[in-house]
Amino acid sequence: MTLALAVAALTAVGIWLVLRGGAVRLIVGFVLLGHAANLMLIAAGGTDRREAALTGQVEPALAADPLPQAFVLTAIVITFGLTVYLLWLAPRAEEAAGPGDWPPEGSP
Amino acid sequence: MLIAALSLMLAAAVLAPLAAGRLGRRTGYPLAAVFLITAGALLVGAPEVMAGGVVEVSLPWVPELGVELTLRLNGLALLFAMLVLGVGALIMSYAPQYLSEDYEHARLYGILTLFAAGMLGLVLAGDVVLLLVMWELTTLCSFLLVGGRGTDGARPATQALVVTGAGGLALLGAVVLLAVGTGSTDVATILATAPQALSARELTIVGALVVLAAFTKSAQLPFHFWLPGAMVAITPVSAYLHAATLVKGGIYLLLLFSPLFAENPVWHLTLMAVGLTTMLFGAFQALLQHDLKALLAYSTVSQLGFMVALVGVGTAASLAAATLLVAAHALFKATLFMLVGIIDHEAGSRDIRRIGGLWRAMPVTAGLTALAAMSMAGIPPLVGFVAKEEAFYAFLGTSQATWTADTAVSGALAAGLAVVGAALTFAYSARIIVGAFAGPLVQTNLYEPKAAFLAPAAVPAILGLVLGLVPFVLNGIVDRAVVDTGFTATEAGLALWHGFSAALGLSATAIGLGILIHLRRNRPAILAEAVAPAMLGPILFDRAWSALLGFGARVGRGAHALTTAPHLGGILVVLLGLAGAGALTISDLAPMRPGTAQPADWVVLAVLLPAVLALARAGDGMAALVLAGTVGLVIAAWLMVLGAPDVALTLLLVEVLTVVVAAPVLARLPDRRGDRTGRRALVGSGLAGLLAGAVVLVMTGRRERSAAAEYYLAEALPATGGSNVVNTILVDFRGLDTLGEIVVLAAAALGLLSVAGRRAASGWQPGRAGTLGAGELLVLRVGALVVLPLTAAAALVLFLRGHDQPGGGFIAGLLAGSALAVARMSGIEVRLPSVPVLVSTGLLLALAAAGIGLVWGGSLLEPIKVSLPLVGEVSTSLLFDLGVVVVVVGLVQAALANLAGDSGRAGPPAAAAPLAARTAVPARSGPPAVTEVAP
Repeated sequence: MTLALAVAALTAVGIWLVLRGGAVRLIVGFVLLGHAANLMLIAAGGTDRREAALTGQVEPALAADPLPQAFVLTAIVITFGLTVYLLWLAPRAEEAAGPGDWPPEGSP
Repeated sequence: MLIAALSLMLAAAVLAPLAAGRLGRRTGYPLAAVFLITAGALLVGAPEVMAGGVVEVSLPWVPELGVELTLRLNGLALLFAMLVLGVGALIMSYAPQYLSEDYEHARLYGILTLFAAGMLGLVLAGDVVLLLVMWELTTLCSFLLVGGRGTDGARPATQALVVTGAGGLALLGAVVLLAVGTGSTDVATILATAPQALSARELTIVGALVVLAAFTKSAQLPFHFWLPGAMVAITPVSAYLHAATLVKGGIYLLLLFSPLFAENPVWHLTLMAVGLTTMLFGAFQALLQHDLKALLAYSTVSQLGFMVALVGVGTAASLAAATLLVAAHALFKATLFMLVGIIDHEAGSRDIRRIGGLWRAMPVTAGLTALAAMSMAGIPPLVGFVAKEEAFYAFLGTSQATWTADTAVSGALAAGLAVVGAALTFAYSARIIVGAFAGPLVQTNLYEPKAAFLAPAAVPAILGLVLGLVPFVLNGIVDRAVVDTGFTATEAGLALWHGFSAALGLSATAIGLGILIHLRRNRPAILAEAVAPAMLGPILFDRAWSALLGFGARVGRGAHALTTAPHLGGILVVLLGLAGAGALTISDLAPMRPGTAQPADWVVLAVLLPAVLALARAGDGMAALVLAGTVGLVIAAWLMVLGAPDVALTLLLVEVLTVVVAAPVLARLPDRRGDRTGRRALVGSGLAGLLAGAVVLVMTGRRERSAAAEYYLAEALPATGGSNVVNTILVDFRGLDTLGEIVVLAAAALGLLSVAGRRAASGWQPGRAGTLGAGELLVLRVGALVVLPLTAAAALVLFLRGHDQPGGGFIAGLLAGSALAVARMSGIEVRLPSVPVLVSTGLLLALAAAGIGLVWGGSLLEPIKVSLPLVGEVSTSLLFDLGVVVVVVGLVQAALANLAGDSGRAGPPAAAAPLAARTAVPARSGPPAVTEVAP
C-alpha cells in the first residue's frame, strides 16, 4: 500500500512534469519517473522481509530479495548519466525556445 | 549456354557504365554487338526447341527452400528472347545517334542493359522465384529510366513504380500460393500439378493475382495511365521498354500461366472483356492526341488490350495470333518510336499540327514511317495485316474453346469489337501518315538524317514487310509457342492470302470503317465524351496516393512538434491501453503478505508525498532542485529501511552529485511557474499515476521470495566467496549485465565531452550560481582539506569490502566522485587522467577481468581466486569492480567539467584569471587533459 502510493504519486507528478515541458520540469520529471520505476522494482521483490542480503550476518529467512536491488542500483547510476545529459541539453533547449510560455502558442 | 547468355548480359550491364566513361554515347554499338552475340548463343539451342525439345539448365540457388536457378528455353521463351535481344540491339545502335554528347551515358546504358538482362531472365526463368526477381528488376529499371531525366520524370516514374510495383506484389502472392500449394517453385512442375494440388478457390485467387500483375505491367484498364505518363523518358527508352518489351511482360505472364486456367470461364471472360475495352479506349485516346509520342503510347495501350483479349479467347488459333501480334507489334512500334524520335530530333517538334510535308525533305524517313504505320493499320502485305487477320479468325472461333463448352459464348461480339478497334487503329495510323507527311512542307532547313540514324529503324520496318510477304517462315516458332501454352499440336498455317474468308471480310470492313473515321476526324469532341468514364483510373490513383501521403504526414506530425506532449502522448496512451487490457485478465489474487507495509513506511510517506506533490508546481530551478533532492534523500532512507543498504548508499551519493552538477545549470534556467497548464496532460498523468499505483498494489507483495532470490541467497557465498549478495550479483552472477551498464556510462561520459566540444559554438556558457566571499571560500577550503582524505579513505574501504559488506564499485566510484566535487567547489586541484583515459581504462580493467575468467575459468567473467602475499585471497571480481569504479569516476569527472563550470568559485581576480584561461581551453580543443581546477 505504501509503495503503491509512493509509486502513484511519483509517476503522476513525473509524467505531468514531462508532458508540460520546459527544461527544469523535464529534468525533474525524468528523475521522479526513475524513482517510481526503482520503487516498483523493489516492490516486486517483496517488502515483507527487510534484512540486508548479507550472507552469514542476517537470518536468511528474513533477507530481502537481492536481485531487484542489483537492478535498481545500476539503474540509479544510469539515471544519473541521463540526468547529466539532460542538464547539458536543458539550457540549449530553453535558448532555442526563447522567452515566453511553454508550450509555445500554436504548437501542435 | 543459357547461363552463359544471361551472364554475358549481366556482365555487359556492369561493364557498360565503365565503357561509357571512354566511349560516351558510342557505347551503344559494342552493346548492340553483345546483344547479337547473346541472341546467337540462344539460337544454338533453337534447332532443339524447334524439334519440340526444351533446353534447360539448373543451378542450386536456395537449396533449403528447394529454389533453383532454372533457365528454360522453349518456343515461347525463344520468341520473346529474340524480340528482347533483337529490338535491344536495334535500340542500342539507334541511341548513339539520338543522344547528345553530354547526356548521362554511363547511367543510361548501364540501366538499359540491366533491363535487357532482366527481361531476358524473365522470359527464360524456369522457376517462379527467379521469375519474380526478374519481374521486379524490370520494374525497377523502368522506374529509374523514366525518372532519370531531372524532376519532370519524378511523378510519372513514381506512378509507374507504384502501379507496376503493386502488380509485382500480386505476383508475389500468386508465386507464394503456387509454391506452397504444389511444394515446388519449378514452373513446369507447377503447371503440371497445380490444378490437382490447389483447390478451385485457391486457383481462382492465383488467377486474380496473375491477372492483376499482368494488367498493371501491360497497362490494361484501369491501370493504363502510367504508360502514357512514362513517355517523358527519352525515345530509346520509350521504344524499347514501353513499346517493344517491358509492357509485353504482362502478356508473357498470361501466356505462361494460361494452361492453369484453360477451363476457367472467368479467367477467359475477364481477359477478353478488359482486353477489348482497353483496345477500344486506347485507340480512341490515340485518335485524340496531337503529340506523336502520346499517340503511339495510347496506341500501345490499345494493341496490348488486343493481345490480352486474344490470350483470353484461349484457343490454339488465338494464342498463335497473340504471339504473332506480339512480334509484329514489336517490329512496327519500335520502328515508329525511333522514327518519331528522328522527326523530333530533326524537325524540333512532335506535334502533328506543326509538322507537315516531311516527305519532301526526308523521303526515306517518311517512307519507313508509312511502312510501319501501314503494318500497324493492318494493310496488306505487311505482317500487321497477317496478325490482324489471324486475330479476327481467332475471335470468330471463340466458341471452339474448351471453356465455352457449357456456355453459349459466341465470338461474333468479340470479333465485332475487334473490328471497331482495328478501324480506329487504321484511323490513327492514317493520322500519322497524313498528318505528318501530307500537305506543304512547314519547316525549312530539313534534311534526311544520316544512314546510321535511320538504319536501326529501317531494319524492323523492312522486316515487317518481308514477314508479311512470307509469313509461313514464322509457322514453326508460333506453333512451338502455342504448344508451350498448353495445346498439344497445332498448325498455325500463317499466310498472307487465305482465300475469301470471313476474316478477310472483317479485315476489309475494318479498313473501310477506318477510312470513314479518318474522313470524319475533325469531330473529336464526341469521342472525348465517349471515353470520359475511363479516366477513373488516374483519378482514383491520385486520390489514393494523396490519401496515403496525407496519412503518413499525420503519423509523422507528432515528430515535428517542439513540445514533449505530442512525442510522448501517444506512447502514454498505448501504455495505458495495454495496462487497462491487462487488468481485465486479472483474477484470483493471492492475499497481500503481512508486513509488506509497516509503520515506518507511513512515516516516510508523510515526508515524501508532500515533497512530490509540491514538485508538480515546480517551475523555478532552485526550488525544484531542493524538492527533488529531498525526495531522493527520503527514498534513500526508505531503501535503508527496506533492507537495501547498497542501493540506499548509491542513491544518496547520486543525489549529492546531482545537486552539485545541477545547481549551476538550474539556477540560470528561466522561472516557468506561470506557464499555461494543459488539461489533457493533467488527466493523462493522473491516470498514469493511478494505474502505476494500482499495478504495484495488485501485482506485488503477494508471493514468496522468487526462486532466483533463493538461489542467489544460497549460492552467493559458496560460488563467489562474497557475502554481500547484491554485490556478487553485480560483479559475479550478472557481470555481463554490469559490463553492459558501464559501457552505457562510458558512452554517456564520452558523449558529454563530444557535445560539450561544441559549447562555444552555441554561445551558452555555464553560469555562476552565486559568488562566495573570500572568507567563505577559506572555510570551505580548510574543511575540504580535512574531508577529502577521509572521503578518499572511505571510498577505498567501501570498495575493498564491497564483496562482503555494503559497498562496492559503484558506491566507491560515486563517493570518490563526490570528493572530486567537493575539491572542485573549494578550488583544490586534483590531477586526474582525462575522461577518455579514465573510462577506457575502466572498461579495459573490466574486460581484463572478464578475459581472465575466460582463459582460466572456462567462461567469460568467471571469478578466479588467487592468493596474494599480505592481502590474502583475492578474486578477479575485485578487478572487475575496480573497472566499475574508474568508469563511474570518469562519468562524474565529465559531468563536473562540462556542467558545473566555474560556479561557486570566486576570490581575488588574480586567482580567477588563470582559471578563466584554463576553462577556455577545453572549449576550443575538446576534452581537457587535466581537471581545470584553480589552486
